[in-house]
Amino acid sequence: MGPLAINEIISENTNLFLAFIIGIGFGFVLEQSGFSSSRKLAGVFYGYDTVVLKVFFTAAITAMLGLLFFSLFGWIDLKLVYINPTYLTSAIVGGIIMGAGFIMGGYCPGTSFCGASIGKLDAFVFIGGLFIGVFIFGIGYNLWDGMYLAKFLGSPKISETLGLTDGVFAFLLIIMALAMFWVAEWAEKKFPREEY
Amino acid sequence: MKPLRLLALFIIPMGLIIAAVPQNKTKPYKLTAEELLGEVNTRTQYVTPDAVADMIIKKDPSLRLIDVRSQDEFEKFSLPGAINIPATDLLSDQYADILNQDIKMNIFYSNGTLTANEAWMITRQLGFNNNYVLEGGLNYWFDAILNPQKPASTSPDEEFAKYDFRKSAGLALGGGATMQTSQDQSATSSKPVIKPAAKKKKAAGGC
Repeated sequence: MGPLAINEIISENTNLFLAFIIGIGFGFVLEQSGFSSSRKLAGVFYGYDTVVLKVFFTAAITAMLGLLFFSLFGWIDLKLVYINPTYLTSAIVGGIIMGAGFIMGGYCPGTSFCGASIGKLDAFVFIGGLFIGVFIFGIGYNLWDGMYLAKFLGSPKISETLGLTDGVFAFLLIIMALAMFWVAEWAEKKFPREEY
Repeated sequence: MKPLRLLALFIIPMGLIIAAVPQNKTKPYKLTAEELLGEVNTRTQYVTPDAVADMIIKKDPSLRLIDVRSQDEFEKFSLPGAINIPATDLLSDQYADILNQDIKMNIFYSNGTLTANEAWMITRQLGFNNNYVLEGGLNYWFDAILNPQKPASTSPDEEFAKYDFRKSAGLALGGGATMQTSQDQSATSSKPVIKPAAKKKKAAGGC
């Protein structure tokens, strides 16, 4: 049955429209959960507020379980689900740059637009920086395309690399996530911050 | 109850279930039995040897001949430019991009038409397009193209035109008296590089 657009059950335009509705819902929930505050994301790094970590990891696990159960029931063909290809070097370098940006700016790209939508000036500055970064990357592409495209691994799955079935890996990931949440809540007690 | 415990209480059993069940590896079939029967009855999958010979001689870039016989048989003789996908390996992932595509015209052939038809039927049921079968298989190919029989003198003109085409096509494709030399062509036929089909890219998730 699924993915709906690829199997032509719904048209590309309907697909975009659904994405638009889901996007609005996503932005609304982000804003209502307080993600439009830059202190929230910076709090993950300093340990006083780990809501962002918990929310996004819970979302990932929910999506993972949903996809695996849908596949089990024959509702979706996981082979047709797009997986971002992995370029190992640029994934590591990009991760470091993005992480540094998170701590300094207090936003990730999604939450910065969330903050901008309610008029937060620091969010606008963050978006400006985001576009400057995109511009520099595009202008200087010839300088770093070697590194950008280095160590192409295709679209590997961790479960396949480890030789586990998707289900067993999902279970291990759930256990890991719960352990991480427990550490995160411990950190919130250990490094409280009253004033923010 | 603390939210973390509530979450754990819910997702740990779900994780246990998904770890315990086998993965769903079935491939959904796209055509109903009636639709497939309709296609079989109208013989839409067949391409005549004359059409294939014409495409080979004209070096039609859209043509892709697929030999579904075993590798041994393929190495002994194959049609010019053919690639080998043994019917036993038909569903292997490495061939998915060749069989499921919208650009080339894949023509399966085997000695007769049985194996080629099996390959066509399986790919058709998976919803793949542009897969065809060489009518009559290699056996008929030998009779029709490489050793065409001169029609009786009372035959209509079309028969003679067909014979002339087949004779010249047969000569061009190494048939006639030098039928055995056509082995050389198979040796030079290189396997095309498998290019992954362009998948529809979606906006990546994340935050």
